[in-house]
Amino acid sequence: MSSSNRELLGKKPIQILEKIKENLEKLNEKMEVMIELQKHGRKGFEPLSPEAPLDVMTLLSMPDHLRKTAMTVCRLGRATADEVAKQTRRARAVESAYLNQLVIMGYLKKERKGRKAYFYVDKEGQG
Amino acid sequence: MGKVVAVHSYKGGTGKTLISASLAVSLAKLGRKVCLMDLDFRAPSLSTLLNVSKVDHWINDYLNGVCEIDKVLMDLSGKIGSQGTFFVGLANPSIEAIRDMSSKDRKWEMRALGRLLSLRNSLLNTKGFDYIFFDTSPGLQYSSINAIVAADLVIVATTQDNSDVEGTKRMLRDLYDLFEKKTELVLNKVMYSDALTSGRDKLQTMVKNIYGVPLLGVIPCFCDISRAEGKVMFVHEKPDHPFTRILGDIAAKVDKIPV
Repeated sequence: MSSSNRELLGKKPIQILEKIKENLEKLNEKMEVMIELQKHGRKGFEPLSPEAPLDVMTLLSMPDHLRKTAMTVCRLGRATADEVAKQTRRARAVESAYLNQLVIMGYLKKERKGRKAYFYVDKEGQG
Repeated sequence: MGKVVAVHSYKGGTGKTLISASLAVSLAKLGRKVCLMDLDFRAPSLSTLLNVSKVDHWINDYLNGVCEIDKVLMDLSGKIGSQGTFFVGLANPSIEAIRDMSSKDRKWEMRALGRLLSLRNSLLNTKGFDYIFFDTSPGLQYSSINAIVAADLVIVATTQDNSDVEGTKRMLRDLYDLFEKKTELVLNKVMYSDALTSGRDKLQTMVKNIYGVPLLGVIPCFCDISRAEGKVMFVHEKPDHPFTRILGDIAAKVDKIPV
């Protein structure tokens, strides 16, 4: 038995479930990225551009589900999947998938801080 | 929490500037704290309409990241009587500035959207404005779509001109709907006799059928307005004119729209 499992045994079931949920979410995020990579062909896959500008014309040409997510991040400035989900009233896991897709497409940047992942529009050089 | 209203149209000459300025002044007269901004960088006209000659900083400067919004805002409350708070932000009408604004790239437009969104936060949340009105360029312009994205409510000014009707319909379907914007329509320059005979309910149904959005108001075609050559702010200088009453009604309706 690994030490982390032994650690878990001492905790209440609800905490164990939370831990499992958290891990599943992390796994889900990773799977979404892998799915996207598969879709675009493993070898030839390149992000659209490392810094594709998320301007309004780009927003207009996006599929509806991604536009909603992208616009919410534009409005919030910087947000977690949870915060976006609260605004769009969609499930957190769904938003997490869309956000990661937008990161792969080069429209958003992602930054991990502890357990939380923040998404934001890269406005590098904004005066 | 205040709201951001963008006044837009498919074609030019539908009355966006007059409508946005009149609504802003009417709401200020109702005691609201209002800011009116000229985002029509291709043909700036608010400085002429409001007769402002000395301007130190333009909205262009704010969007270019040259100055903060405080420098751009001008307090014109004195011009509309004592009750309300009326600020404006003007667009630079010089040909050089128009040329500069029309040659911006996508990255700049993306930052401009970011700056409009942060302007929204600072004016509504920090400075306690009740309203920000954006007067925009007609059609699908970057600056106009940025304004629409940053707005809570879009007021579309339209006439009964056929190409305007068709274009407006397309724009409602392919632009506002995609951004999920709350949109209301103002029918402008309606022939007075038509407005009288059709009746409000009939027009409301007609607009709902054609455009699928609510009718916010109907403004008849007033010869007085054309005759004034854009030199008279009717809602302030002509309190008894029917135009003032109609715009006052529309302003009161805007004030009640939840966002």
